Parts: sequence; C-alpha cells; structure tokens
Amino acid sequence: MTAISSNAGTSAPSAVKARRRPLIRPSRVVIFVFLLMAAAFFAVPLYVVIVTSFKTMDQIRLGQIFSLPSPWTTEAWSYAWTQACSGMNCNGVRVGFVNSLYILAPSLVLTISLSIVTGYGLALWNVKWANGFLFVLFICAFVPFQIIMYPLIKIAGGLHIYGTTFGIAVIHSVLSLPFLTLIFRNYFRGLPPQIIAAAMIDSGSFWRIFFEIVLPMSGNIMVVVLILMITGIWNDFLVGLTFGAQDTQPMTVVLNNITVTTTGAKNYAVDMASALLTALPPLVIYFVLGKFFVQGITAGAIKG
Amino acid sequence: MMKWKALGLAAALLAGTVLGGTASADEVVVYHTWSKPSEIAALGVLRDAWGKDGHQWKDLSIAHDSGANVSLMNMITGGNPPAIFMNSDPGIYRDLTKQGLGVPLTKLFDSIGATKNFPPAVLKNITVDGEIMKAPATVHIDGMIYYNKHVAEATGVDPKSWKSLDDLFADFDKVKAKGYIPIAQGGDQFQKAYLLQAVIASEEGPDIYNRFYGEKPDKSVIDTPEMRTALKRFRQIQQHTDPGSPNRQWNDTTNLVITGKALLQIHGDWMKGEFLAANQKLGTDFDCINIPGTKAVVVTVDAWGFLNTNNADTAKAQEDFAKLDVDPKINAAFVLKKGASPVRTDVDTSNLDACNKLVLETLKDPNKQVSNPFNTADADWYRTIWEQADKYWSDPNRTEDDFVKAMQDAYDQIF
Repeated sequence: MTAISSNAGTSAPSAVKARRRPLIRPSRVVIFVFLLMAAAFFAVPLYVVIVTSFKTMDQIRLGQIFSLPSPWTTEAWSYAWTQACSGMNCNGVRVGFVNSLYILAPSLVLTISLSIVTGYGLALWNVKWANGFLFVLFICAFVPFQIIMYPLIKIAGGLHIYGTTFGIAVIHSVLSLPFLTLIFRNYFRGLPPQIIAAAMIDSGSFWRIFFEIVLPMSGNIMVVVLILMITGIWNDFLVGLTFGAQDTQPMTVVLNNITVTTTGAKNYAVDMASALLTALPPLVIYFVLGKFFVQGITAGAIKG
Repeated sequence: MMKWKALGLAAALLAGTVLGGTASADEVVVYHTWSKPSEIAALGVLRDAWGKDGHQWKDLSIAHDSGANVSLMNMITGGNPPAIFMNSDPGIYRDLTKQGLGVPLTKLFDSIGATKNFPPAVLKNITVDGEIMKAPATVHIDGMIYYNKHVAEATGVDPKSWKSLDDLFADFDKVKAKGYIPIAQGGDQFQKAYLLQAVIASEEGPDIYNRFYGEKPDKSVIDTPEMRTALKRFRQIQQHTDPGSPNRQWNDTTNLVITGKALLQIHGDWMKGEFLAANQKLGTDFDCINIPGTKAVVVTVDAWGFLNTNNADTAKAQEDFAKLDVDPKINAAFVLKKGASPVRTDVDTSNLDACNKLVLETLKDPNKQVSNPFNTADADWYRTIWEQADKYWSDPNRTEDDFVKAMQDAYDQIF
C-alpha cells in the first residue's frame, strides 16, 4: 500500500516536469496540500505513538501528547518485550512473537503449496467442472470468517487441533485457500499457452511441467502472495483469538491482553511500545520485498 | 494426481493430531481477563495458596470483556474449555446449567459458613435462578467520589461536609472560579451508564433502582417522577463537565484528578489503582467518599465460575479454589492487591485502607445496596439503558420524555 502510493506520488510531478510547464501551478499546489494532509493523517498518530513510547508515565500524565520526551527512556520498550504481562505470564510480547512465527511458517507452506497446485491445475489443465468449481471458489473467497466460525471450531475440535498453533495455521490456510487459488489461477492463465502446449507435446507430466516450467516462472506472483499472506496472518486477531489457547496466542492477542484494561491502571508507554513491536515484522517485510511487490503486481497486470 | 492430494491431506491431518497437545492432567486451566500489575499480584495470592493444596494453575488470559463471553463458549465448543473462569454474566451460567456443565456452590458455601457472611448485594450477584453459581472474588462500588485533596484545599472546599448533591453543586462555583474542572467525566458509554446507575441508586434508593435495573424490570417505573428527577440530576452533572469530556477514557479522566486539573471524579472505586500507580497517598493527596446523601450504592462483583469436567481431581481443585477464594484471610489479601473491597463482611480489616473500610461500613446496611445490572439483569435490557443514557447525556436537546419513551419502546420489544 505505502509502496504504491509513494510511487504514484513521485511519478506524477516528474511527468509534469518533462513537459516543461511552470514549476508552481495551482493544480500542483492542490496536489501537494492534499498529499501533505494525507501524509500527516498517518504520520501524526504514528508520531504520537513513537514519542509516547519513549516517555515515562509521569510525563505522559502531563497530557502533552505532542511534546518530545525528556528524558528519553527505552524502559517501556524493554519492559514491553520482556516483562509485560499477558495474564499471569509476565514475559512480554516476545512470547506472542514466537507463537506468531510458529503460526506463520506452517500456514505459509500449507497455503501456498496447496493453492499454487490447484491454481495451476485449474488454469492449464482440462479439469472436469472447472468453471463450476471456480464459481464456488469465487463465492467462498467472499464468505466472512465470522459466519463459519462455529462449524470451524467444531471441526478443529474434532480433529484435535483446536487450541494449538498448528491448528491456527491450518485454519488460516483453509480460509485463504480460495482467494489464493484464484490469484494463482489468473496468473497462470496469463502464461504463454504455447510454452505449456509444447511441454505437453514433449509428454511432460502434470508434476514435471509444474516443477520445471511453471514454478520457475512464478517468482513475481510468489512475492505478492507472500507479502499478502505474511501481513494478513501476522496482523490477524480473530482467528488467533478464537482458535488459540493458553500457550498458543499470537502476538496480536498478547498485545490485546497487555493493552486492554477493564479495571486496572494503564501504562501508555508500554502499550505504545508493544504495539510498535507487534507492527514491526510486516513493516520490515514491506521494506525488504516492497520493490518486488510492485513488480509482481504490474507483471500480472500487463500479462492479464 | 489424486494420490498426491490424498497423501497431502493425510499428512496434514496426521501432523495435526500429533501436534495437538492439551494441558497435562494435573494442571487446571484458569481463564480470566486480567493483565495489569495490581491484578496479577492479586491472582498471585490465590495461585500460591491454591498451590499449597497441590494444584497447578495453568493460566489463560484473554482481555476481552464482552457481555456474552464468546471466547468461553468457543472453547467449550472446541472441546478445550477452562475448568475455572472469571465471569459475572448470569446468562453464561444459565447456558452452562442447561448444557449440564454448571457447578452449583450453594452447599459448599453453606458448609464453610461463607453464605451468611456475604453482604446481600453480593449474595444476589452470585445467585442465578436460586443457586449460588459464582464464587465472588472482589467487590467494587460503581459510584464513589475520589477527589484531589490539594485542589479541595486550594478552592476552600470540604467534600466530607457535603450532605447532598445540592451541596456539591453549590461548591462547584468556587471550584470553577479558581480555574479547576469541578467534575471529571469521560466519554465511554459505560462511564455514563455507570454514573446514571449510581445517581439513580444514591438519589432514589433501592426500590426504584431494582424496579428499573432488576432481573425482571417493572415497566411502570420508567415514567415516574423519581426517574425524571434522577435524569435531571444526571443532566446537571453533565453540565459541569469540561469540553474534553467526550471520547476520554476513564483512566485519563482519573488522571485529571491526579494531576490536579479537576477536583473529583464519580466512578468505580477501581480508579484507586490509578492513584496508587501515580504514587499518590490516600489521605494526603486524595480521598474518597460515597455520593453525598446516598440512599444505596451499586455493587459490582467479579466472580469465578466452574465448569463440570466429570473428573474427580478437577472437581477437588475447583472446590479448593472456591474455598480459598472466599476465605476471610486470602480474600482480604487478594482485594488489597487488586485495589477492591472484600466479599465478606467478617474479613480481617487490619490491612485494609480507609476506602475499603468505607465500603465495608456501607455494605453493613442491607438496605443500602443494589446490584450492578451487568451481574444480574438481562443483557439486552441493560445494553439499551446504556445506549439511551449515552444518547441523553450527549445531546442536551434530548428531554426526559425522549428517554422515557425510548425505554418504554425497548421494554415492549425485549420482554
């Protein structure tokens, strides 16, 4: 998201420059003001969150949310990481961090390996009832999790995976399967049909074509799917809350435990630091893979 | 191709069953919604005492305090429920009883002599359809006044001399003249709703309160002069709040009193935790009183519930837990850490502070206490009251008539 919008923002003025129009024009000013406002809309709350996380509670009680911390202290950060309590387990958000990793890894492997094969099969092979199946998938992709929650819990309970990290991973995979299958299917549809036809004539089997031709060509879409899935799963709260149990709560649920208070005193610095720590991993992924993400999207767009 | 898929599915299922572990037999899952230092310290008291009986506390916390406890029901559905949980919603206990999962406590509490020492409001809170179903952990009073002593001195006001709300309002001009906010109030729906509860109880007494907030409310009470007077009082308080009141959380509101920007806050007595966290001293920096001229206080009870697991060891652990929870010594230590008041009137008061003692003193009078509808009433009904209280408070153009009309309509729909 951020990568796309910032790209759009910089490319528009440079296109204007190329046509050698005067530098300051009303329309440009309007665009700048709008962009500044949009940036401030996201940046100001972020600023408050960051600044607050470095303050002491005494400073926060003064109520000057925009003032800089004096003195700066990283106490809240280390407290949030190692000591903040989620229930009686006072080991900080790192417990959730580890759980989130345990959830993320298997669900990425499961979802992507399953949906890439189904997408490939539906796109490039003659599958009976393929259109009907696609239609059902399409519908499934739009079913909100909440309305199938109860049967899913029943099924997970029956399979004895309810309340385990692996169980949460499986539920994530099941829930994102339709959508990802559609994405892969549409991407593979865009591959040059001649290549596949040639491969079939050379008597390539389903799996050989998949591993030797299709898979090496799907780098771009993999990055897109990876980013989508990592952010989606990492930021998920409801699935983790519903299917998690005592030791398996993901980072978002632990964060919720730390920050939400009913009748207890609140420490905002710790809340802010925990929130930032929880938000960090997907952000890092964006910064590392952001460039490929845009490439992946545009590659698909041009081919499609 | 079919083979591969079948194989993959089988592998996934196999991995699932192998990895699907549950808590070991001697650990008992205790589910609650607390995470704050004061709350953890309190739970620690109970855990340690229970540990001496040989029981292992397996902690599960989900900070998610919705009226209908979805998480608990999810865990029951998934076949991995906690044996002990913290919940005050009577609806949950009715559901459990219907499913044969309820654990009544009446006999147990009678046999250890706890029942007769619970204040009436507590007893009412923990009783569902004639049986004690919950083990009370703490008592909170929803409408107490906590005030900043330094501000009171600076403005020449003595809250302890107030005899009625009129005295309080009369003094507010002095407070305003010196540039302080007289009454700090936050914007959450529950804060306003709790305030209305406290006003109705303190001004109009238990009878009107119980007819309005009771388990089976009385429709005729909605349109009475008493209700209208209470609403006018509610409006009067609203007119003394500052412009920052909407959207403010209760603890930020308490902070106004702590930092000496406001004189007082009328809110649940858990705000004491904020004062203590800010290193304020009871008696020197701040103090507490009941609402002046109070006819009744609203009592909230945090309580534990138990789930029938048909396992003798677990049942023993649950029984020990319930006994310790209401033990006069343990309970006093528990609430001291939590910043609440004990659930029995016969506890050892030597370690309790002045505000705890005030609460216990008030609760000695059986005619001066009512229950928080959150612990006893129909969820639809009190949610509607919350909503209407919020609307009435937030919009000065709304009249008592609007409130009365809306509640009458709601009554017809709900009951």
